[in-house]
Amino acid sequence: MRKNGNGKRSGSGRSIKIVLLSGVLLPLVLIFLVSSLGSQKFGTLHRLVAEVAGPVQLVFARAIDHLHAFRRDYVDLFASREENKRLWKELQECREAANKNREAMATNTRLRKLLEFKEASEQPTVAARITGKDPSLWFRSVVIDRGSSDGVAKGMPVVTGDGVVGQVFAVSPNFAKVLLAISPSSAIDVLLQKSRVRGILKGAGSLTCSLEYVLKTVDVQEGDQVVTAGYGGLFPPGMTVGVVSKVMKQRRGMFLEIEVTPAVDFLTLEDLLVIQKEIPFAEQ
Amino acid sequence: MAVLVFIFLGLLLIVLQTTVFMLNPVWVAAPDLFYILVAYLAYRFDLFRGLLVLLPVSVAMDVFSGVILGIYPAICLAAFALLKILVVKMPVRESYYQVPFVGVSYLLVNKAAFLAITFLKPDVPIPWSWPMMLLRVLLLMLFAFPLFRFFEFIDSRLQHSPLSVRVLGRRSGNVFRQEGEE
Repeated sequence: MRKNGNGKRSGSGRSIKIVLLSGVLLPLVLIFLVSSLGSQKFGTLHRLVAEVAGPVQLVFARAIDHLHAFRRDYVDLFASREENKRLWKELQECREAANKNREAMATNTRLRKLLEFKEASEQPTVAARITGKDPSLWFRSVVIDRGSSDGVAKGMPVVTGDGVVGQVFAVSPNFAKVLLAISPSSAIDVLLQKSRVRGILKGAGSLTCSLEYVLKTVDVQEGDQVVTAGYGGLFPPGMTVGVVSKVMKQRRGMFLEIEVTPAVDFLTLEDLLVIQKEIPFAEQ
Repeated sequence: MAVLVFIFLGLLLIVLQTTVFMLNPVWVAAPDLFYILVAYLAYRFDLFRGLLVLLPVSVAMDVFSGVILGIYPAICLAAFALLKILVVKMPVRESYYQVPFVGVSYLLVNKAAFLAITFLKPDVPIPWSWPMMLLRVLLLMLFAFPLFRFFEFIDSRLQHSPLSVRVLGRRSGNVFRQEGEE
């Protein structure tokens, strides 16, 4: 019974709702539609909706903007990483090219000097390159890539555009061993250019040589040029050997102790010229 | 086979020593790789095979270095003999422990050779310098460990190769000399 009573009440409630909907709400909607379409006026309701939805829209729009910006940055990051890689590679290539250019310039300068010397020299010369260096602590020699098949013979002087390097003391068909002027076993007949006093230049094993057998009575100054004397016929006369860097006069002995710094930089020695001259049979 | 391989290795070491490790003609800090090979041969090879390797290699060294022919074979043989004696007399058989003796023998042999050269040709060698010599000894000992390892590796590979004629001085694992041995 009670159940039936409830069912009746709910059925009447639904009828009221339908009546309200069709009698009130629908006419209101129709009025709103007709008035909106008719007047085309942005009314209160529109403004209200705009004011309420606007901020939400704004938040969403900004969020989407940020999202786009983030995506763009992320993509750009990848692109810039690639760009970075490419630029680094380019930089490395440029550096390599710059190094090659510097090396080429240095080689050019060195070879130009050698060429100038070769052109100025009256004797035939052979250009050679150092292939090996003596690793021992007692001797100073180098191996060059020219031998008897190139016309190199034992005893021939070896020079660069700067001055005297040494002399050939062993040859094979394609290679030769050169005794450097800084080697203690090297002895070169030289002159002090200013005073024309003769002496023997001996190597000390280091980057300096000593000029021996110069009498104490001779006036020798630091900076005096030392050139080859050419007496033995081995080295051409007047070739630069070095500069006097120290003069010591000991109380004992007849001779001065003179230190000579070679004109040739033995630390950067690479390209050489072998002067092809007739070596007396006794010298070979 | 081992003889040929070690001759080749010796020549390679000499080439390295005279090119890569010599930055300029007066460079001091170059390790004497050639001497490390001599020491290894003295420790690991028998007399005959050791000499077979040493002679061509020391002649090559003579070609690339020095102004007195024959000086390197002499130094080489002296070092080889000295280290062979040490190997026989020493209780330690493991070559890694023998590295300090390489340095000592290097000093002794070089000093003896220097005195001999100075006596025979006083004007030829550069005066003896202890700092330079000690630097060389230090470098020698530094390079001796990895090179000994490398030589051991090559040696063991050669022993296991089908071309190997004999098994060469294989270690028992005991680093101390056995009672009554040698």
